[in-house]
Amino acid sequence: MSARAARLDVDGLAASYGAGPPALRDVSFSARAGQAVAVLGPNGGGKTTLFRALLGELGTVAGSVAIGGAVAYVPQTERSRLDFPVSALDVALMGAYERTPWYRRIAAPDRALARAALERVGLAEHERRRFGELSGGQRQRALVARALVQDAGVLLLDEPFAGVDSTSEEAIMGILDGLRADGRVLLIATHDVEQARRWDRVLCLRGAQVAYGPPASTLTNAVLEATYGEEIVMLDCGHRAVAIQHHDHAH
Amino acid sequence: MQILHSGLLQRALVEIVVLGAACGALGVWLLHLRHAYAAESLAHAMLPGLVIASLLGIPLLLGAGAGVLATAALIALATRDARVGSEVAVGVTVTTAFGLGAVLALSPDVPVGLDKLLFGDLLGAGTADLLAAGALALLIALALAAGHRRLALTVFDPVAAPSLGARPARVELALLALLGVAFVAAVLSLGNLLVFALLVAPAAAAIRIAHGVASQLWLAAGLGAGAGLVGLVASAELDVAAGGSVALAAVALYALAALARPAGGRGVGGTRRSPVEALGAGR
Amino acid sequence: MRWLTDPLSAPFMQRALLVALALSVAGGLLGTWIVLRRLAFFAHAVGSATFPGLVVAGPWGIAPQLAALAAGLGFAGMLSRATRSGATSADAATGLLLAGALALGSVLASDVYESGAGVDRLLFGTLLGLGDGDVRLAVAVALVAAAATAALARTWLATGFDPAGARALGVAAARGDWLLLALLAATVVAALPAVGALLVSTLLVVPAATARLLTTSLSALLSTSVAVAAAESIAGLLLAYHLDLPPGPAIAIVGGAAFAGAALASAAPWRRGARVVT
Repeated sequence: MSARAARLDVDGLAASYGAGPPALRDVSFSARAGQAVAVLGPNGGGKTTLFRALLGELGTVAGSVAIGGAVAYVPQTERSRLDFPVSALDVALMGAYERTPWYRRIAAPDRALARAALERVGLAEHERRRFGELSGGQRQRALVARALVQDAGVLLLDEPFAGVDSTSEEAIMGILDGLRADGRVLLIATHDVEQARRWDRVLCLRGAQVAYGPPASTLTNAVLEATYGEEIVMLDCGHRAVAIQHHDHAH
Repeated sequence: MQILHSGLLQRALVEIVVLGAACGALGVWLLHLRHAYAAESLAHAMLPGLVIASLLGIPLLLGAGAGVLATAALIALATRDARVGSEVAVGVTVTTAFGLGAVLALSPDVPVGLDKLLFGDLLGAGTADLLAAGALALLIALALAAGHRRLALTVFDPVAAPSLGARPARVELALLALLGVAFVAAVLSLGNLLVFALLVAPAAAAIRIAHGVASQLWLAAGLGAGAGLVGLVASAELDVAAGGSVALAAVALYALAALARPAGGRGVGGTRRSPVEALGAGR
Repeated sequence: MRWLTDPLSAPFMQRALLVALALSVAGGLLGTWIVLRRLAFFAHAVGSATFPGLVVAGPWGIAPQLAALAAGLGFAGMLSRATRSGATSADAATGLLLAGALALGSVLASDVYESGAGVDRLLFGTLLGLGDGDVRLAVAVALVAAAATAALARTWLATGFDPAGARALGVAAARGDWLLLALLAATVVAALPAVGALLVSTLLVVPAATARLLTTSLSALLSTSVAVAAAESIAGLLLAYHLDLPPGPAIAIVGGAAFAGAALASAAPWRRGARVVT
C-alpha cells in the first residue's frame, strides 16, 4: 500500500437525528496517519452518532469535518442481515461497487484486490462461504477486507471485539496493527476501558466530548466518571475503574 | 390445445409470461427488504381508484396509478404516527379502501364489473394493454439491472451503504416506485386481490431454493413466467378463471418449493414460539 | 326522528341491528387483543381465506359456517407450516397464502359453480339478509368472547408483553394463546355473513385501532372498542338503509372516517407515544 495523506480533523462537530436537539455536541479532535483512536462511552452516548456523522449520513448541525481519504465503516455484525445470500468474497467486492458502473462486471484488478484483502485478513480459504455462516470474528474480518478494497484512509470500527472469541480477537488485533502500519486512521468504538488504553488516543463521549488525548493521561478517574456517570465501579482502591455495560439481549 | 389457435389467448400468454418474469424478479428484492406487507396493502387498497376510473370511463391504468399513489401517501402518513402500530394503521386504510370501492361498485345505478377489478380480466387484454405491460416489464427489468448493487447494499448493510455508493432511503423509494409500476401493469390481468401472488410467491420459492442473489432473481423470473404459462393453459383447458389460475399456479409453485426445502434459506427463526407470535407480525 | 325510527321498525333491520351489536361486542373485545398482539394482518387474512369455503358451501351442501371455519383453519395451518423454518417471513407467507385462497375461491366460483354475482355477497356480506342461525352464532360468540376476556385477559397481556417470560410460565401461556386464536377464528366466522370475507377487519380491527388512539388503559380499551364498534355499526346500518348502500362497506367507511377523526382529534402532544398500562 502506498503512503496516503490519511487524516481526520473534526472541529466543533454537532449532529442530530432529525429536528430534535443534537445527539452529539462539541466534538473536536485530530488524528494523523497511522493513529488509532479509541472512542469510549456508554450506550447512547454518541459513538454511533459520531460514526454516522463522519459517514455523512447524519446532518451536521454545526462544526466541520475534514477527512483525507475514503471512509469505511466496519459495523457490528449482529446487526447485519445474516440471511442475505452473499459470500465472504461478495462482501469484500462491495468495496469496489462505488467505482464500478452498473453495466460493467467488477474489474479483474478489483477482484484480485478483494482476494488479496481476504488473504490478508486470514479468510482466503473461506472466500466462498456464506457470510451468515461465518463466526463473529470471521465476519468482522470480512468487513475489514471490504474496507481494504475501498482503500479507505479512515476506518470506523464499531466494537470490533464484541462477542468475538480470543483467537479471533488476536487475529483482529494483528490486522488492526497492520492497518495502522499502512498509514490509515482507525476509530475504534469500544465500551471496554482496558482495551481503550491500548490505542494511541482515546476520545470520551457522553452526548458531548468529555476528553481527548493519549490514554495514559486522559483516562483519569474524573474523566471516567464524567463519561460513564454512575455506571463506573472503582476497583483496587480507586486505581482501576470498570464501566458497567448494559447489554441488550433482545436479539 | 386451445392456446395454439386463439389470438386472444396468445396475447394473454405473452402478457402474463412477461409480467410474471418481471414481478418474480422484483419480488425477490421486495422480500429481502421485508416490504411484503406494505406491498400487499398497496395492492388491495387500489380498489377505489380502479372503481372510480371505471365509473368515470377513464382508462383503468390511470385509476390504478392514482390509486397506488394515494394509497402510498396514506400509508406513509399512517406509518408516521407512532401511537398505533403501522401494521394496524395500514390495515385500517385497506379495509376502508375496500369499503369505499365496494360502495361505489355495488351501487345499483351503474354496476361496475367488480369481479374483474378484484380478480382480473386477463383474457380481456387488448393489444394496447399488452404493449403497456411489456413496456412496464422492460422498465422493471432495466431498473433492477441498473440498481442491483445498490439494492444489495441497502439490504445487507444500510448503515455502511452510503460509504459504499448507495443511499438506502432513495433505493427503497425507487423500489416502491417500481412496485407501483408492477401493480399498474399487472392489476388488469390479475385484479388487485391476486396480483400479490405473482409478485411474492415465485420470489419466496426462489429464495428457498437458490443460493446467491443473482440466481434467486433468475429463478424467480423463470418461476413467475412459468406460473403464468401453466396457469393460463390450465384455465383455457379447464375453462376456469384465468387470473385465479395463474395466482394458484404461483402459490402451488411456492408450496412445492416449501415441501422440497422445508428449512431452505437459513432464515432467522426456528426457536419455539407461541402460535400468536409465529402467526402475527412479530419481527 | 323518523330517520331513526323508520329503519328500526323493519324486522330485517332489527335483526341486522342485533347481529351488529353482538358482533360489536365480540369484535370490540377480541379486536383489542388483535391490535395488542399484532394480529391485525392475520385476522384480515383468515377472514379473506374463508372465501373458498363459502363458495363451495352451498353446492356441496355444507353449512357455510363450517366450510368457512375449515377454510380458515386450513389457512392458519398452512401458514404455520410455511413460517416454521423462518425461510419465509410471516408477512410474505400470509400474503401469498391469502392470495392463493382468494384465487382458489375465484376459480371455484368462476366455472365450477358459476356463482357469478353471488361472489359479491360472500366478499362483502349481507347484513340486511341474515338468517336465525347467523343471529344465534353472533350472540353465542359475543358471550364466549366476554367470558374469555374476563378469564384470560391477564394471561394474554402477559404473553404479549413478555413472550420470553411467558414461555417460562409454560403451559398456561401456550394454552391461552391457542384459545385466543380459536376465539379469533370463531369471531371471524360469525362476522362473515354480516360483513363478508374481505371486511372482517371492520369489526375486528378498526374499532380497536380507533380506541387505541383515544385511550391507553386496558379496561378502557376494551370498553371503548366495543362502544366504537357499536356506534359505527349503527351509523353504517342507518346510512345503508337511507342511501341504499351495501351495509358492510358502509360500516367500513364509517370506521375509516372515525379512525381518521380520532387520529386528528387526539394528536395532542401529550398523547404521543402512549403505551398500554393496566
